[in-house]
Amino acid sequence: MIAALRSGVAGGRLSGLLLVALPVALLIWLVLWPVLQAIVGTVYFPGTGFSTASYAYFFTDAYSLRNLWLTLWVTALTSVLRVAVAMPIALYLRFRSGPVAALVQALALFPMFVPSVLVAYAFIRVLGPNGIVDTILVALHLPKLASPYLTPAGPIIGLVWDGLPLTLLLLLSGLGRVSIASVDAARDLGAGSFTLFTRIILPRIQSSIIVTLAFNVLGLFSAFTLPFLLGPASPEMMGPYMQRTFSDNADPLNATTQAVITFAFCAAFGLIYVRAIAKGRKAPA
Amino acid sequence: MAQVRLSGIAKAFGKVTALDAMDLVIEDGELVCLLGPSGSGKSTLLRLIGGFETPSEGTIAIDGVDVTRLPPERRPTAMVFQSHALWSHMTVHGNIAFGLKLRRLPRAEIRERVERVLDLVGLSGYGARLPSQLSGGQQQRVALARSLVIEPKILLLDEPFASLDQHLRERLRDEVRDIQQRLGITAVFVTHGQDEALAISDRIVVLADGRMQQVGRPGEIYAEPKTAFVAGFIGAMNMLDGTLADGEIAAGGLKLPAEGSGPARLAIRPEDIALSEPEEGRMVTVRRMIDFGSHVVVDSTLADGTHLRVQTDKAVRVEAGERVGIRVERWTVFAEGEEPRRYRSDTVRSFRDVRYA
Ligand SMILES: Nc1ncnc2c1ncn2[C@@H]1O[C@H](COP(=O)(O)OP(=O)(O)O)[C@@H](O)[C@H]1O
Ligand SMILES: [Mg+2]
Repeated sequence: MIAALRSGVAGGRLSGLLLVALPVALLIWLVLWPVLQAIVGTVYFPGTGFSTASYAYFFTDAYSLRNLWLTLWVTALTSVLRVAVAMPIALYLRFRSGPVAALVQALALFPMFVPSVLVAYAFIRVLGPNGIVDTILVALHLPKLASPYLTPAGPIIGLVWDGLPLTLLLLLSGLGRVSIASVDAARDLGAGSFTLFTRIILPRIQSSIIVTLAFNVLGLFSAFTLPFLLGPASPEMMGPYMQRTFSDNADPLNATTQAVITFAFCAAFGLIYVRAIAKGRKAPA
Repeated sequence: MAQVRLSGIAKAFGKVTALDAMDLVIEDGELVCLLGPSGSGKSTLLRLIGGFETPSEGTIAIDGVDVTRLPPERRPTAMVFQSHALWSHMTVHGNIAFGLKLRRLPRAEIRERVERVLDLVGLSGYGARLPSQLSGGQQQRVALARSLVIEPKILLLDEPFASLDQHLRERLRDEVRDIQQRLGITAVFVTHGQDEALAISDRIVVLADGRMQQVGRPGEIYAEPKTAFVAGFIGAMNMLDGTLADGEIAAGGLKLPAEGSGPARLAIRPEDIALSEPEEGRMVTVRRMIDFGSHVVVDSTLADGTHLRVQTDKAVRVEAGERVGIRVERWTVFAEGEEPRRYRSDTVRSFRDVRYA
């Protein structure tokens, strides 16, 4: 009897291991192995031995550092903006219903179905030089505004729009754990919208916000299409920088070094993300 | 202190009419139960009084002041929700103190009032706990305390104990009644359980399909249901489809004196039927005897197979398959579009005009 139970437990463990074996194998093959290769390839050179020269170069090269800072800055600002824009929409969708809410939801999720390249060209047509906004301003004899196209603001606007749906969905799932009754109860006792948000809703979706931010940061740090099409040529974000170093400059060593550094940053954010999720699991709803 | 007056209230959600043609006055210090099946509009009515919904038609006045367009926080009401309404990130003390802090009361007073209300709901010493460290019943006590601490004139409760087990539910509803009487506040209690409504109300409002079926004291609603729905919904009732003709109603082989003509429904309470000597037209076949200890219910069938429940003395013993006679002592006839007619065997005359004493 006990032996049977034991073998049952062991069997459960075995099938559990088998279940995770495939994803783990894929992870090792497609992620960890290339990363390891990249790290080794940038510090060990057959014939000459170990050298961290390419890293020393990156962290002393003013241009590389400026690119890194720009990337961090765009990533941080875009993540925060995405949450700031998506939050009111999410609150509205969670606590209101009816035809207007359905329309808002459809509009907010729309960007999810538009490829980034189209977003970039639409952006250029609207906000770019001689775009729709410019044309209207000129027609009204108003002074032209400086176009955000090819400035850091360009990719930020594009990325905020592009990432809005996913951010909204993540926040909505967090807000799903805040019951309508608990909000009604606070209103009943006299809480205004601000108090309601800061004292009742925010404390309960903290971990969701961290998850949302970390998730956004992960995707943004290595974003390529929108920064490449809308961003300034110098400084540039890590994505376009890597691409240019690799193909235009035909410099795989430095491109790989940049990739490893980017990966290290993403891994750090990934850790925050995983921890926030674990914490969210533990916290009672 | 607080009287609630609803005049011509209607509420529609899109095409769904949740409430229609409601006129109701809830007197000061009264505990009124809104009783009805799920979807009958009980919560909607309560939320209208609390200010969480605005009526499509009609007005709501509290103590003569029109509050129809006022938001919840500007009404002298406080609502206790069915469940999941406590703030899990705050302690019990934090939950209860919330409303007082919003009113910017001094700290010492807040602490004192929270202590007092915790004592009132029997949770002294629980202030530092988190809601997740309490049982379901304790959580609802906290919700009650949170509403009471701001000293509302009108307490609104939306099936507050529906998710608790029967014993706890009974104890808590009695406590609510107790507290309501002690504080002398007006209370509106939503429930779909007739026992609950009968046990604690001063008056019961029976709702069905968004319409008020009857308003009355518990005993009155039980003894003199105004509609067939109320008759069938409150307490055990045998509801039989019958036909009126020649001063009689015939239903399922049973014939009883009654005026009128055409189709009608015959309502007889199990306790208004007694077992007696077999007699033509007054015979049933026993299917099963259910012994409740305090009394016995005989599940039987009439000549055409219609079920009839008979409640009798605990000393009575009958066998399945046995044919026994019955004597119906009181019955009510509901005919479409007419007032119900009530009869009793000793006089066999309509006594619909006799008010319930
Ligand atoms: N917010 C709402 N939107 C649409 N329909 C609603 C809403 N609230 C209630 N209803 C409808 O109104 C009717 C009465 O609901 P409710 O008052 O919750 O009934 P009860 O509390 O008696 O179960 C139901 O048909 C319900 O579907
Ligand atoms: Mg309800």
